[in-house]
Amino acid sequence: MYARDIMSPRFHTLSPANSIAEAVKMFHIASVEEQKRIFGLMVIDEKDQLVGMLSMYDIIVFIQPKHIHVWSEIEDLEAQAIFGELLDRVKSVRVSDIMTTSVVTVKPQTHVMAIADLMIKRHIRRLPVVDGKNVSGVVYISDLFYHLLEKFL
Amino acid sequence: MEGLLVEEAMRRKVIQLSHDVSLDKCINQLIKFKVNALLITDETRCPVGAVSKTDIVGAFYGGLPIVESLSMDIMRKDGVHQLFVQGAEPCAMVGTLSYSDVVALLYRYCRACPKGAVRRSELTDRSDETQLLIVRDAMSTSVISCRQEDSLARVIEGLTAHRPGAVLIQDAKGLPVGVISKTDIILAYHHGSSLEVEARSILQTPVASCDENSLLSDAIRHMFLKDVQRLFTYAGDPSHIVGVLSLSDAAHIRSGSCRACITSRIIAAP
Repeated sequence: MYARDIMSPRFHTLSPANSIAEAVKMFHIASVEEQKRIFGLMVIDEKDQLVGMLSMYDIIVFIQPKHIHVWSEIEDLEAQAIFGELLDRVKSVRVSDIMTTSVVTVKPQTHVMAIADLMIKRHIRRLPVVDGKNVSGVVYISDLFYHLLEKFL
Repeated sequence: MEGLLVEEAMRRKVIQLSHDVSLDKCINQLIKFKVNALLITDETRCPVGAVSKTDIVGAFYGGLPIVESLSMDIMRKDGVHQLFVQGAEPCAMVGTLSYSDVVALLYRYCRACPKGAVRRSELTDRSDETQLLIVRDAMSTSVISCRQEDSLARVIEGLTAHRPGAVLIQDAKGLPVGVISKTDIILAYHHGSSLEVEARSILQTPVASCDENSLLSDAIRHMFLKDVQRLFTYAGDPSHIVGVLSLSDAAHIRSGSCRACITSRIIAAP
């Protein structure tokens, strides 16, 4: 059993030039259309090549105020209003500015146990499947989980 | 500050890159992790230098392609952008320390101090208020400004000639309309902008500012909550900018709110 047998051939992507606001909307659209929570999206350039990944975690790390520990000590804080103002400053930031560029990928012919090993050792929840220079699918940890544990279903 | 340890204020995440990465990757890491400098290591992961936002701004001004690898010309081996904290092993960096980290620690101490301005509503002796520091005590009166129609090249010249962290952008009447920081410049570089585009195309609004007579503690709190490194200061009218207060300025005062700490240092001095 290989990556091509368990991968999701349908996937949503982002462009490096997308704004963070557009990326957030795409996370929402992808989750609705895939009927499961999508926590990370592949970033594909104009040549259809994978250039990075952007996860919800990347965005949360970026929008977090630098001195968040000071925030936690201030009791009389209108956090929601202040945080809204902070988000206004994210407007000039694009997906390419904060995406993860060192992306681990697998080939369609990679064995599922090799995928499990990669996911465990590198703490990865999704792996793009790259055929030549182009992406042909993505293996989510849930795909792997249900495949390996199908006996219990 | 006597007795305080570096490890109480330092950040424990050190962003490091290999010396052969591209400028593109450096900018990505500077923006993503909101740091002012990256540690650069050799093949054995030993530190060989640091790359700061100032260096990247210089590379933009010098016309280096963004896919270019780092070179020793860009890296400033001896420049102090922030301190990297060394662990037990010679090559192992365990944290970083910048001025803003020092101010954050001081601010937390001030919140706990009964004499501090941070909790001035709880002061029992109102005469203590004369001890409180105001923004004018710490701010710099040197403000670098450009017009919104000036080129990015002109803005960079202002940033590098006087070494401020940001340039105030004014309209034709001299009124403040926005700010351009080094972060905005390196974002423009990353997005493929030309040095000839007008400042108005990348400026950030509104201008984060405060009155020069505000309490220093309120200004520091304002900077932490707005996640900005500096506030432009005005005298009465917000359009009349008279100075700039950065977290570095606040760190130089070495007290988050009042003169009590300064006095105690003088008394304790041998």
